Amino acid sequence: RNYFPCRAQPKKKKKVDVRKEQAQKDRMKKKIRKLEKAAPEMIPIEDFMTQLKYSDSNRVRSLPPLSFEETERRVLLLKKWCLFKQNQDKAEKKAIQSLVEAQQEALQELRLESEELYQAAIRRDEGLFPFERDGPNYTPPLPGYDPPEGKCVDITKVYTQ
Amino acid sequence: SAAAPRPWRLFGAMCLLRLPRITQPLEKEEEEMAALMGQIELEKSHYSDHEIRKLEEEERLRRRKESLYDDDEAPGKTVIMAQDLEDKWEQKLLRFKAAPRTTDADKNNNRTSLNRKLDSNLMLLVKQKIGNQELWLLPQVEWQPGETLRSTAERAMATFLGDHIQAKILGNAPYGIYKYKFPRAIRTVDNVGAKVFFFKAFLQSSDLSQAELKEDYLWVTKDELGDYLKSEYLKKVNRFLLD
Repeated sequence: RNYFPCRAQPKKKKKVDVRKEQAQKDRMKKKIRKLEKAAPEMIPIEDFMTQLKYSDSNRVRSLPPLSFEETERRVLLLKKWCLFKQNQDKAEKKAIQSLVEAQQEALQELRLESEELYQAAIRRDEGLFPFERDGPNYTPPLPGYDPPEGKCVDITKVYTQ
Repeated sequence: SAAAPRPWRLFGAMCLLRLPRITQPLEKEEEEMAALMGQIELEKSHYSDHEIRKLEEEERLRRRKESLYDDDEAPGKTVIMAQDLEDKWEQKLLRFKAAPRTTDADKNNNRTSLNRKLDSNLMLLVKQKIGNQELWLLPQVEWQPGETLRSTAERAMATFLGDHIQAKILGNAPYGIYKYKFPRAIRTVDNVGAKVFFFKAFLQSSDLSQAELKEDYLWVTKDELGDYLKSEYLKKVNRFLLD
């Protein structure tokens, strides 16, 4: 029985263990670095991939071919629509132009009045944005309507890179 | 430093808009185009699962009738057909009644109510005494030194509608201006006329029961403004109103 430190077998085992553990850690670190260096995988866009069951031939709709009058009507309607939208766009642009002009005139007059008020008027309004508004619906809300109970479960697939 | 007395008196006016709650009716071209788009989409589409099921069931029914009850399925098995489902859904839709797009206020032409003309913007007009005339105007109040014009407009709104209205004012800058000279009787060198600066705000809360409206008020659309406002004033106001 020795009571003073001696280099016997047990101590060697610890060293080897330590070295083995060090080697393992290095291997893991190398693997991690390799994975990080590799380019991240692209997230697939589900909307762009047509599922095979939708390209079956029995899915194709069978409708009678369009008559000549029908194609003529469609072409004329598209031309009318083009004109309609052009006029609508011009009217909108004119309205916005008139809005801007009115505002500029008002600011000019204000400047003539008092510089201080003018500076206060052209300051940015912080509370204006973000501006949120619920759009108009088709019918006004029905008073006392009780919507049916239900739960919506979201099954969208979430991909991580 | 003493500023030279300015000859123009300043007023801040608020144009409070109640935004539309329902969509405007489609124009003729828009309706035709919508129908055409629907047709083209139908022509370019493939059959959906529901339609395939419906076609198969019709085929099966037809075959069963022709071959005189040659049942390859066990009798007594009640199968819900796609057509039955469609009928059920149709019935459910017919049973639901939506709120009408033209309200009672529309029919009575009650111009003080906010429930009128749900598809257009409504503006607040109040009757105010200017000089010795009672006029219909956008609510306005005289500017006091020490406040910005925007706070004048807010004060105008609060004077006529009380403190509890929620309105989103669109920015610090005025939208329009109406300048007028006082009649010669009261015109002096340092009191030539007045400038009214207009501000725009959107009404956020649809419930004005707490508002204490003291004077006569009206909620009108842009087209009806001509019935109440004087022509010069109307011209300036129309410039900053989008339909």
